Amino acid sequence: MPELGRAALVVCFGLTLYAVVAGFWGAHTRRRRLALSAQNALLAAFASALVASVVLLAALGRSDFGFTYVAQHTSRELPLPYKLASFWGGQEGSLLLWLLILTGYGAAAVLLDRKAGRELIAWVVPVLGIVAAFFSMLVVFVASPFHTQLAAADGAGLNTSLQSPYFQIHPPLLYLGYVGLTVPFAFAMGALLSGRTDERWIVATRRWTLAAWMFLGIGQLLGAKWAYEEVGWGGYFAWDPVENAALMPWLAATAFLHSVMVQEKKGMLKVWNMLLVILAFSLSLFGTFLTRSGVLSSIHSFTEGSIGPWFLGFICFVVAGSLVLLFRRLPLLRSKTRLESLVSREATFLYNNLLLVALCLTILWGVTFPILSEAVRGESVTVGRPYYDFFLRSFGLPLLLLMGIGPLVAWRRASLRSLGRTFLWPFAFALVAGGGLVAAGAGSSLPGLIAYTFSAFVIGTIVLEFARGTAARRALADEPVPKAFASLVARNRRRYGGYVVHAAIVLLAIGIAGSSAYDTSHTARLAPGQSLKLRDYTLVYRGLRSTRAQNAVETRATIDVYRGGDRIAVMHPGKNNYPVEQQVSNEVAIRSDWLTGEDLFLITEQVNPNGTIDFKAIINPLVNLIWLAGLVFLLGSVVTLWPDAREERRLAVRYGRLAPDT
Amino acid sequence: MLTAALVLGALLAVAAVWFVARPFLRNPGSEEPLVEPDRAGRERLALEEERDRALAALKELEFDHRTGKVSDDDYRSIVGELRRAAADALRALDRGRGRSDVHSREGP
Amino acid sequence: MLAVFLLYSSIAGGGTPSLRPSSLAGHTGKVSLTGYVLKPVTGDAHGSGLRFRLRDVKGTATVPVVYKGSVPDLFRPGRDIVVEGRFQNGVFVATPGTMVTKCPSKYVPKTT
Repeated sequence: MPELGRAALVVCFGLTLYAVVAGFWGAHTRRRRLALSAQNALLAAFASALVASVVLLAALGRSDFGFTYVAQHTSRELPLPYKLASFWGGQEGSLLLWLLILTGYGAAAVLLDRKAGRELIAWVVPVLGIVAAFFSMLVVFVASPFHTQLAAADGAGLNTSLQSPYFQIHPPLLYLGYVGLTVPFAFAMGALLSGRTDERWIVATRRWTLAAWMFLGIGQLLGAKWAYEEVGWGGYFAWDPVENAALMPWLAATAFLHSVMVQEKKGMLKVWNMLLVILAFSLSLFGTFLTRSGVLSSIHSFTEGSIGPWFLGFICFVVAGSLVLLFRRLPLLRSKTRLESLVSREATFLYNNLLLVALCLTILWGVTFPILSEAVRGESVTVGRPYYDFFLRSFGLPLLLLMGIGPLVAWRRASLRSLGRTFLWPFAFALVAGGGLVAAGAGSSLPGLIAYTFSAFVIGTIVLEFARGTAARRALADEPVPKAFASLVARNRRRYGGYVVHAAIVLLAIGIAGSSAYDTSHTARLAPGQSLKLRDYTLVYRGLRSTRAQNAVETRATIDVYRGGDRIAVMHPGKNNYPVEQQVSNEVAIRSDWLTGEDLFLITEQVNPNGTIDFKAIINPLVNLIWLAGLVFLLGSVVTLWPDAREERRLAVRYGRLAPDT
Repeated sequence: MLTAALVLGALLAVAAVWFVARPFLRNPGSEEPLVEPDRAGRERLALEEERDRALAALKELEFDHRTGKVSDDDYRSIVGELRRAAADALRALDRGRGRSDVHSREGP
Repeated sequence: MLAVFLLYSSIAGGGTPSLRPSSLAGHTGKVSLTGYVLKPVTGDAHGSGLRFRLRDVKGTATVPVVYKGSVPDLFRPGRDIVVEGRFQNGVFVATPGTMVTKCPSKYVPKTT
């Protein structure tokens, strides 16, 4: 029933428009019932988007090829999970998912935060309404997922490269991240509109930002793992515009999560925090625009749809509108305190922010350079890996170092004597680790060596922080070590959860440095029986085997892997040939060594008619730490996100009094 | 099929309108304004933020001192400032409260 | 200061012009070429080199290309690809291993 889907979207569009108009009018004239009615409109918009989504899902599940969208993105024999996941396999469905998640976040924000401050939420609702109205306008008028056609006998099917379990989880997580950044933006704008620039919007926003940031981070790591296992070139990140599009808002949000602490503790950086929230949201819109408009050449070329100009217009509107508003409210955002010392926690947060934003803007510059140069010089110039790698090193390595320094420096100011004492152990640890690494031959790559030494320093800092905290807690409450440790973390979730996230970033850095600075690879043409030596591995090619699967011919090479005289594995890299889709796909073979975190990555690049193969073997040291980092990152984020009952009570006392009892 | 879809769509629209109109239906007539804190309220909020900030900073300073991150000298020089800031905020809050109490007693 | 630094570094180093077969003439340095793969594709990417012609994605100008190294899964006539290399004596000699397929069918069905 496509009509129901269409009707639900029209209703949703109407409701969001109403939320904008009634919301602004109600907040402006301070009419409580009008404001409440606008909030209800946002809740009802979520329900309508949900109805539309269920209609589309049902059509996908039942293979109702009367829906153009279903016919274009699925086929009869596609397994059910892929049929359902095709929801986000195309442009129209992706926009509907944006709308669904956005209205979902909006409804959750209304329900959870309306007690925290009525007149703030009253201004937040119309801002959320504007964004939701834009997206519902797109799915109603420009790219409707409910176009109908004469029912076809079978659909066109899902691209084979999307038929992977990662396709079911990576896009929705990324969307949860992208769209989640709308909520902090709406609260920031709500605070500016209402003229209430106290810390309430920050308190309400912090957790939303953290959640969106967590989803965005996990989503990106899953995308990297997908690329690593499926695309088969031995890498996981290629600085492709679409990958950058997700990285940029994540970096901006990371900067915000740090600088927000300075505002909470010192009442400083109020304007800067607003700017970061605006930047993060604009970049998430820009990212959606990049992936949807086809202005850039990317390996992820999506449909070159008609929605590009709409997006560009909306981004300009958002950036211009929010900056004008911020400018008009500048007098309210003056901070009374100043930076006391350049050697203090708040100063390290400032350096961290400058580096993160610089990295973010360099990437933005790299992404937009082809467009700008085309406009200016008439010739599109792309910047490649060397550009990004250079700036990742120049800004990323200092950031890594700061991650070790920051936690050791006290708020306000720190004397050299205190610093000397706190830095002693981590510094010594890093020195020993660095020396050991040089002795082990890690000096072959200077950036790699620096990254590892800095990583050791950060680990030293984190361990020291946990150890000292536990010891102090033990002395204070006379508790045994495990209990002291638990209560230490429970009492300071944000601080220690943050350290766990830091540990995840260190793992990530070690993994990236290891797999990019110390990788080895070798390519050869092998006949059956011939072998290839790669470091301490000997790989013997035994022969080829072809089997006919349901929809593909699977050709696999048999490779015996020897190390130290023992056969440690038999691996089968190969190719799949899909006759119907006329597509060939590389099926790489990966052997992970869980003890060293290293991967042996085998690719059959070409199968020759005479039975020889062109074969590539790569050793990626420590690459598995990257995936481990994802788990640690999740753990740290959850610890940080977990509500702290005592703090909630304190904030309820501070802000709750203003609202009349409900 | 088509009519069923249209009926469901119409039902959805009606339900949405009813839900949106509910705040007006529940208590017609009386319009309770949104509470905006006045000038005094805002000042008090700012002072409370100031006070909480100073108290939290004191707590953290104590902890950092105990773990050895802050040396005795640094501790002594900072703790005085923070105590003063917290005390100032508390005093200002008290004064404000006294004033607003008087004010409310004078009111109708 | 940062902007100047960036401007300098992206213009002086790292930047690769992105061209179409029709705009290739006169460029001798390293460029990245985008085009549509024409039949026939001959040769061996891991031997003497894969040989084919690239056409403007929306146009008629073509250029012969020689390519060695890894060939992406999605490479075949009728696809759009991006490849880096130099234009020498009327032939575009690609840098080994730089071929990337643009995949317009990724989110769009085949229209055939």
